[in-house]
Amino acid sequence: MYHRLDPRVKLLISILMFATTLLVRTLYELAAVLAFMVMVAAVATVLHRVGRTMAFTALFSGFIFVVNFVFTRNLETSILYAARFVAIVVSTSLFFITTSPDELEQVMKTFRFPRDVIFAFVTAVRFIPVMFLDTIQIMDAQKSRGLELEQGNLLKRVRNMIPILIPLVVNSVVRSGELAEAMESRAYGSVPRPTSLVEYRASAKDTAVAFAAVLLFALTAYSFYFVFPAKIL
Amino acid sequence: MIEFQDVTFVHQNGVKALDGVSLKIDSGETVAIVGENGAGKTTLVKHVTGLLKPASGKVMVDGLDTSSTTTAKLSRKVGVAFQNPDHQLFSESVEEEMSFALRNFGFPAELVEQRVAWGLNLFGLTEYRKSSPLVLSGGEKKRLTLACILAWDPEVVILDEPTVGQDSIQKEKLAGTIRMLTSSGKTVVVVSHDIEFLWPIQPRVVVMKAGRVLGDGPAGKLMLDKGLLDAARVARPHLVEFYESLSNRPETPFVDPLEARRWVEGEGSP
Repeated sequence: MYHRLDPRVKLLISILMFATTLLVRTLYELAAVLAFMVMVAAVATVLHRVGRTMAFTALFSGFIFVVNFVFTRNLETSILYAARFVAIVVSTSLFFITTSPDELEQVMKTFRFPRDVIFAFVTAVRFIPVMFLDTIQIMDAQKSRGLELEQGNLLKRVRNMIPILIPLVVNSVVRSGELAEAMESRAYGSVPRPTSLVEYRASAKDTAVAFAAVLLFALTAYSFYFVFPAKIL
Repeated sequence: MIEFQDVTFVHQNGVKALDGVSLKIDSGETVAIVGENGAGKTTLVKHVTGLLKPASGKVMVDGLDTSSTTTAKLSRKVGVAFQNPDHQLFSESVEEEMSFALRNFGFPAELVEQRVAWGLNLFGLTEYRKSSPLVLSGGEKKRLTLACILAWDPEVVILDEPTVGQDSIQKEKLAGTIRMLTSSGKTVVVVSHDIEFLWPIQPRVVVMKAGRVLGDGPAGKLMLDKGLLDAARVARPHLVEFYESLSNRPETPFVDPLEARRWVEGEGSP
């Protein structure tokens, strides 16, 4: 159901959720916002993927907590900042998980981004899984030559990444060159203003969801500042 | 030397890549693993170096259980040349690229120097010794990856699609290298779609489909089995097809495709 929404509406919902996490001032408010995000993920049937995203951000979140706690000595503030980071990542990933690169392209066209910028951005998004696969294959190849990534002190481990990163970067550069040639050979850029096969028109359902999202955001912001005023951290 | 005992492997996306594979490869054997894309060939060989661990079953390499042995330790015994050489080349020069694994395995500097010189000479890469490996041609990169592996003298050599991007002369040289490795007692496992490349080598052939072993036997027998190869969606060698066309003629001078092969290679006469 959520997947079928107009991608512009999904973008609006993600932006509003993002903005709400920035308005949050207490752990209770943040818990409520996170609960809402989990509910949206459940409706969109992407709970498992959002869960993985949250687990992936745990390390960075832990780092934010430690740094804040060291400098502020305030447990609540440190937890709030760490959890806010998770909420920010979830709000943006909800959009990217439920929106295909094609839809993303259409959304960017709606906002009249330059065509080359759109192409570069969407291609970058499309290539993320390819680069991930490349990374695994490169790691396999280097581990098969006796490279032990998990061995040694921090400096040694960083140096161990060189045999992974260089082939990854070189492959990406080569691939982008090949892609550019392939695109040019298929007449990319020959038409200054190409028409689009798909043109989004918001349905009544999309408009209703967008309106409800804006209303909910306004009510949430109002309640944060006027109904349940809390001290600003 | 290598034993797969009822091995099953399931990818993260739930696809069963290996389904109850049992296989034994003895020391000094030359084995070709053939099958269509997605048959599980590369997944199978990745288990030999412990890059993948079986979901069930056991993979033993020279008495070591790969589930409880590190890839670094297994790699000392098993060298793998992966399909895409660009996935491993990173050093500033060809000689540094070759010495990378030798240093990882703790070879003394003198021996590193000797093995690098030997490998470069064997694969005709001496002139590129100081060049960046990234500027080599596709075929040269492929040869370099093979040289990198042979430099540490592993007991088992695994070649994953070694003929991709190679011209016919390089393929012949590669076949010669495989014969040399076999004659020097190495265990060689070749993963390939290239039946024409494998046919003259006459290895033991393991035919795979959908993660299962469909057939296992000498090339001279299995590559004539149209039913088996059709089921595995593997093409038969042109010579076998040609022989079958000839054999329909009453005056055919050949007894079987192996004799035809020997005749074509100038080893016999009809």
